[in-house]
Amino acid sequence: MDPTQLSAAASSRAIAAGTLSPVALAEAYLDRIAALDNQLHSFVLVLRDEAIAAAREAECDIRAGRSKGPLHGVPIGLKDIYQTKGIRTTAGSRRYLDHVPDADAETWVRLRNAGMILLGKNETHEFAIGGPDFTLPFPPARNPWNPAHYPAGSSSGTAAAVGGHLCAGGMGSDTGGSIRGPAAYCGIVGLKPTYGRVSRRGVFPLSYTLDHCGPLTRTVEDCALMMQALAGHDPLDPASADVPVPNYAAALDRRLDGIRIGAIRHWHERDAVAGFGAGNEPSAAYVAAFDAGCRTLERLGARLVDLRVPPLLDYADANRVILLAEAYALHETDFQKRPELFGRHCFARLALGAFLSAADYVEAVRRRRELCEATASALAGVDLIVSANATGPAPRIDQVGTYATFERPSYTAPYNLTGLPALSVPIGFENDLPLAFQIAGTPFGEAAVLHAGFAFEQASGIFERQPPIAASLPGR
Amino acid sequence: MSEPISPERFALLAERAGLDPVKIGAERFEELRQGTRFLARFQASVRRTGTGSPRERAVEPAHIFVHPRQTGEG
Repeated sequence: MDPTQLSAAASSRAIAAGTLSPVALAEAYLDRIAALDNQLHSFVLVLRDEAIAAAREAECDIRAGRSKGPLHGVPIGLKDIYQTKGIRTTAGSRRYLDHVPDADAETWVRLRNAGMILLGKNETHEFAIGGPDFTLPFPPARNPWNPAHYPAGSSSGTAAAVGGHLCAGGMGSDTGGSIRGPAAYCGIVGLKPTYGRVSRRGVFPLSYTLDHCGPLTRTVEDCALMMQALAGHDPLDPASADVPVPNYAAALDRRLDGIRIGAIRHWHERDAVAGFGAGNEPSAAYVAAFDAGCRTLERLGARLVDLRVPPLLDYADANRVILLAEAYALHETDFQKRPELFGRHCFARLALGAFLSAADYVEAVRRRRELCEATASALAGVDLIVSANATGPAPRIDQVGTYATFERPSYTAPYNLTGLPALSVPIGFENDLPLAFQIAGTPFGEAAVLHAGFAFEQASGIFERQPPIAASLPGR
Repeated sequence: MSEPISPERFALLAERAGLDPVKIGAERFEELRQGTRFLARFQASVRRTGTGSPRERAVEPAHIFVHPRQTGEG
């Protein structure tokens, strides 16, 4: 058996049953990275010796009855904006090419305490915004379904690695959709938790009030297991919330009887073109997949109603102003003194923040409050929301322009702006490339979001289709 | 879509922001100027109230990053 064909949860069950060795699992993933990552460029640093040593330790502990739980011995990757003590962390930038942190990100501490094995650091868009950029020291990651195509970003490396079975799961970050966009294009699951649910401490910031950390996994069950380790108050993260953490895996159920789901259709059916212009229509295949996904939710017992919230453009533009202002402030000195160190896309996008005024920022934050209230009001009548993610398949990687992020509708940004939890789940394919929608919920309602995602995933069976590159290596 | 800021005004605003066109390079400086075509949309969008009037004074900024402390004891 090739253990890299197993989900993280299935690997965990095999490890617990004694039929899979954590060392064999880590070695299998490391062999895949060595053989295949020249196609995906998903890792910027591979920690082979360290990973095998940690896997040996896990194996000893588990055999001695000291299991740390369902993630013990499961290998992951971390987006290279997560600080790792003694291990280079570049944020995808020339500025930090030799940066070796002296502390770990809190999220990595929690995952390591849960027994996860770090295989390496994953490629990221520069400072989680500037990509795909061919002028940077590390080539941009490629889509595991077709390496000529874009995996989205900025958690591009993690998503490509998870989708290509180069690791069992990983961590991304999401300021406007950087977990859920790559999850959609790479055909995997990605969760942006509620703002405050998962610590951001030790993760390179992009925009303080919009940044979220979360997992990228092959299945919703894997996502629930990682969330169990990640969620919870961090008194040293000023945005962290002291809210009880439920049992996420226990919430997973295959039925959705009585659950009220509001479908936001106007974002993709009308607002995309009205706000961003012709050419931004969802593809016919996407609309069909979205509608089929909604029908599946209904077959599972959910009651779907159409939900109206403010126009998509309003969320996206408020998100952009806040992001640009906060990110510019963060990098201002380097933009002034060392602009040559930035890659082309990162500079062109973030330096626009220099031309926004203080009033622009304050108006964006006031608009944010109005949009939060309007969304909360709409959500009051339902338990969950279903809305579009990227409304077509991944473009070719050489067709992503510098300002594509401003020209195209962002279906993910509303949940950064409102802080609500949102899960990207695959719903189908177009031209052999994945499509996805989002299931969003109430603040700290990750358990309900994961429940609906799990029920949908299991009923649709879409997750069982894997990209050709995920096939076992010869001899495995 | 709006036009980008004129080259002359852009040079002035860049200087005021402390951005050095020589360090940045002519090509990247021009690409940044082209990006300013999005700013008018952003600025208008965040000021839109639906009434045609400026936002009411009572509308506070968002404070979603401050969460209530929950003890689980009701």
